[in-house]
Amino acid sequence: MLRFIENLIRSAINETVDKAMTRAIRDQYTENLFGMIPSTTKVGVTNLMEIAMRANQGTPVSRPLGSPIHLSPWEKILFNPVHLFRSPTPENVGISTSVTIGRRARRPMTISIPIMIAAMSFGGALSKSAKIALAKAATAMGTATNSGEAGLLEEEREAAQLFIGQYNRGGWMNTPDKYRRLDAIEIQLGQGAQGSAPQRTTAKNIGEEFREVFELQEGEDALIHSRLPGVNTKDDFIQLVRSLRDETGVPVGLKIAATHHLEKELQIAIEAEVDFVTLDGAEGGTHGGPPTLQDDVGLPTLFAITRASEYFARKGVFRDINLIATGGLITPGHMLKAIALGADCVYIGTAAIMALVSEQMVEALPFEPPTSLVVYSGKLTDQLDVDKAAMNLTRYLNACVVEMEQVAVTLGKTALTDISKADVCTIDPFIAKAAGIQLGYVSPENQDRFYEETRPLFAAGEAEIDGEQHINVH
Amino acid sequence: MQNNQDLKDTLTYIHSELNRMETMAGTLSTIEREHYNKLTNFDHRELVDIAVEEQSAARQLGTMKQMCLAMAQQIEGIRHSIDSGELGESAQHVEIH
Repeated sequence: MLRFIENLIRSAINETVDKAMTRAIRDQYTENLFGMIPSTTKVGVTNLMEIAMRANQGTPVSRPLGSPIHLSPWEKILFNPVHLFRSPTPENVGISTSVTIGRRARRPMTISIPIMIAAMSFGGALSKSAKIALAKAATAMGTATNSGEAGLLEEEREAAQLFIGQYNRGGWMNTPDKYRRLDAIEIQLGQGAQGSAPQRTTAKNIGEEFREVFELQEGEDALIHSRLPGVNTKDDFIQLVRSLRDETGVPVGLKIAATHHLEKELQIAIEAEVDFVTLDGAEGGTHGGPPTLQDDVGLPTLFAITRASEYFARKGVFRDINLIATGGLITPGHMLKAIALGADCVYIGTAAIMALVSEQMVEALPFEPPTSLVVYSGKLTDQLDVDKAAMNLTRYLNACVVEMEQVAVTLGKTALTDISKADVCTIDPFIAKAAGIQLGYVSPENQDRFYEETRPLFAAGEAEIDGEQHINVH
Repeated sequence: MQNNQDLKDTLTYIHSELNRMETMAGTLSTIEREHYNKLTNFDHRELVDIAVEEQSAARQLGTMKQMCLAMAQQIEGIRHSIDSGELGESAQHVEIH
């Protein structure tokens, strides 16, 4: 019986495909369904659908999880294992994975792994159960989770052993009764996927508990301003950092979107004596941001890290100010390369959410996206098993750190924080020059000779750029 | 003077206990890591979950070791300040103003 049904299905599929192929070959392009293929190839599937959404909605499209464009060429950077000239680490030696944030603070924060859970707000982004699951997993791993731009969610605070709260542009964490309960304060002035653009959660999407945590009136929108209220000048910011530091004693840091003005922003952070800087690269995610802000704004994470770490080194503050990298870090390889390039630790957002729902996504598929289990406005948030989700994320984080430890062993290191630019090389001469790492094509002693001999090739590129400028000038 | 001596004795006690805690954390961390290796030999979901917890415990014990070390260094710094009279001077300075 089964064989009969199988044969019937096979013959029906065969007949259908034959007819479709015949039509695709015979029909003119204007009448041909195949015309969808070159059209979609021309504009891209994502762009095609977003054009249709804009045409239908007439407002900016609210795209979840950030830009699909990966601008940081992590795959062009490779680690350098050792064998003889320096030995790999013996396998019975434990690799130190802890990181202390805010060495100058009265109460520094030490995390057990160099991965933290990124800022994703309750209400603005995630459901309460998702936030609690993230906090539980972070606690199990001895690391910190971040409030995102939200008020203080009591259940999240209780579930998190180490809780970083964002002093935010909405003002919801900015009162002493809230920020004094944090283990570190991150002053949020921007993020990779949205720059410093304002955001609004409309009252119709705000439930009772959201209103309570954010202290909103019924019918009031939750508005994130482009500026932090009360901070309009450099001096206002410096004053804010000092008062938060004196009042709380915990590490006080700055979070910004990475931009080409990076060094100018960092100089002010140095003057304010922040304990850490969180740089969110252009690949950073967000719950629902306009595609243009996500795709066309900011500096890629890789270059943000290298520029910032070089600037801190130049200014002699790289021991005093921790650099936290975030934005599009998906694999343990990405994370460890970020550390090698100068970050002390990283935040992960999208990857953490994926890990959180991994086993439970079958509850949503095929009729709902897996994110409907975790986003605040999701239809299936009540179906998320918090403990199961936390365990999935714990397993994921453990697996990531074990993979990092294995790399450390093959590099002959005993601590993840000891991994540096000397432990990587690249296969791209431009990245080599920009990031200050060696080019894998040639031996260390031939690096200069290589660039000298290939100068005409680079000069050709420079001439093109000069030519363009020339045209622009005239 | 007697107060200074009491403070120094207390700091010495805390310093030695921190050193002991650091050693204990290091030893326990090694044991937890060995447990992780043993438990991951079994192809059993629950045992693997316990192994993950053991591995995390090993890392957190390693972190405790680092924290003990950092605190012991701070205690040492305070003891030196007392010996060189810096702490007493600054205390007096505060009292004067």
